[in-house]
Amino acid sequence: MGRLARQRGGASLQTAVLLVPVVFGLMGFAVDLGRLYSARNDLKIAAASMAEAAAAELAGSTVSIERATAAGQLAISNANGRGNLYDFGGNQIGQSNGVLNSEAPVLNFFDTAAAAIGSEGVSGGEAGSTTARYVKATVRGEAPLIFWRFLSLAQEGRLNLAAESVAGVSAPVCQACGIEPIGVQAISQDDTTHFGFVVGSRYTLGYLCTGGQSQSALANSVQRVPYVILNRYNESAAVLADELTQIYRIGALGMPANADSAYSCVRYNAGETIWVNAAPLGCNQNRVNPQITTLLCGLAARFDNATVPASCNTVAETETVLSASPIDSDIADIDDYTAYTGNRRRIITVPVIDLASTSTMVVLGFRQFLLEPALSDVTINPTDQNGRFVAMYLGSVMPVRSGRIDGCTLATGPGKVVHQ
Amino acid sequence: MSRARQGGNTILEAVLLLPVLCMLLFGMVDLARLSWTYFTLQKILYGVGRYAATQTAVNFCDDADPILADAKNLALRGIGNAAGELQLAALTADLIQVRLERVQPDSGALGDCECTAAGCDNGQGGRGPDFVVVSVNGGYSVRTNIPFVPSETFLLRPVVRVPYGAL
Repeated sequence: MGRLARQRGGASLQTAVLLVPVVFGLMGFAVDLGRLYSARNDLKIAAASMAEAAAAELAGSTVSIERATAAGQLAISNANGRGNLYDFGGNQIGQSNGVLNSEAPVLNFFDTAAAAIGSEGVSGGEAGSTTARYVKATVRGEAPLIFWRFLSLAQEGRLNLAAESVAGVSAPVCQACGIEPIGVQAISQDDTTHFGFVVGSRYTLGYLCTGGQSQSALANSVQRVPYVILNRYNESAAVLADELTQIYRIGALGMPANADSAYSCVRYNAGETIWVNAAPLGCNQNRVNPQITTLLCGLAARFDNATVPASCNTVAETETVLSASPIDSDIADIDDYTAYTGNRRRIITVPVIDLASTSTMVVLGFRQFLLEPALSDVTINPTDQNGRFVAMYLGSVMPVRSGRIDGCTLATGPGKVVHQ
Repeated sequence: MSRARQGGNTILEAVLLLPVLCMLLFGMVDLARLSWTYFTLQKILYGVGRYAATQTAVNFCDDADPILADAKNLALRGIGNAAGELQLAALTADLIQVRLERVQPDSGALGDCECTAAGCDNGQGGRGPDFVVVSVNGGYSVRTNIPFVPSETFLLRPVVRVPYGAL
């Protein structure tokens, strides 16, 4: 009987030994798996933030990928202690964290969404800096295992997790916000892709004038194209209330944020009217209203924000606007857009309209231009007699910062950053 | 050994093992709860950041901004008003901290974007930030409740940084 009891004790021990891995496995499901899910969620958020930040920098120049990579890295930079971390906020992404490592995140760039989404694990099909429109961020990090490390499957005590996110430029926006409400007349309404403009060509954008004697194009541009300022005057504005200040701000920074999209956005196919006090004058008068000169002063602030041009020194609160207006980091006269290395401050997104006039105008779409400095100058000339300045037509090279893609189906035009 | 003495041994073993098993079981549940809470917290913060960073005309410098309030309510309660049930107990909108960051032109690093006209206060004519950072002011406190183990309070401090993609 005594031997039987000892045998029974042995059986209990055997049962306990058999049960330990089962218990640890089950506890691993509750504890380790939960922790892995949480860490993977952290990595997913980091990947999404990186991809979105990078995609916003894709502007079709030779430095776009370089700028996009730098922007993506900022999303996980923990220099000020606020970066996206993982595993309960304890580990930095892209760095060694003691026993746990996180490989440097990888950003891959593509020219189509299909290539970006469908190219998992494939290195081919990537786009160059001038054609990249989508970015895939891959973030990896090791997460620790507490209970599963006692099982033969995960004795290293850590598991490498990966998360991916794709972001890129959406379909063309139907409503663009924060852009410049400079209604540029289409050269050809039949050409729905470029409205008669030629990518890479420089145009003189001149304010609409009346009468027969048309103003000429500026030097180093192929032709003069008329434009008008679309009415976005906010008479009830609490700050920057003065009309000219508002135009100056629009020139320097685009339309300001406003809960009412009628003041901050332009919509495709909408009827637009000219800014009330910016009516065109006779071409033979060789002058424009102060509103147009002020707009050009604002545009000039993108090249030089240290001084207010003399023609605008009576405009109120220009210093306030200038304090928020960084200049472009590349203000050189550029013939080939791909050589542009700036921070995109010189790129304006404008509505293209059917016919510049004082009656209702229809928005045909949105396109982008690169502002060029005046001949032998480092900025544009705000005192031009016809409100003229030279801008290179770019098509739709970069996403707008804010807008809506619902309500229309456009084949061409700038989109906004979206992520999968 | 008699059957009665064997039964006594079994009870004794059970009495000895039961607290350990209880501790393991409840500890497992509590640790899972901790993970779930952190996961949910992170999701809420990302929800606030993502929503607010993609809406037009959010004034981050105005605590009463209706869009920001909607973003918080949506993330905290699943709907855009204050009527829904909180996903995490005691995590209310006033505890959600939203900070603004902008790339410093000199260093290329991220720095605070002040609520001024030159900074990120669009109510004064400023332009938007480059990144929005969302966190819980003071951290979210979670208390463990494991039998036979002294209760301990953890402060969860997740931080989410999302790029700003609107005006």
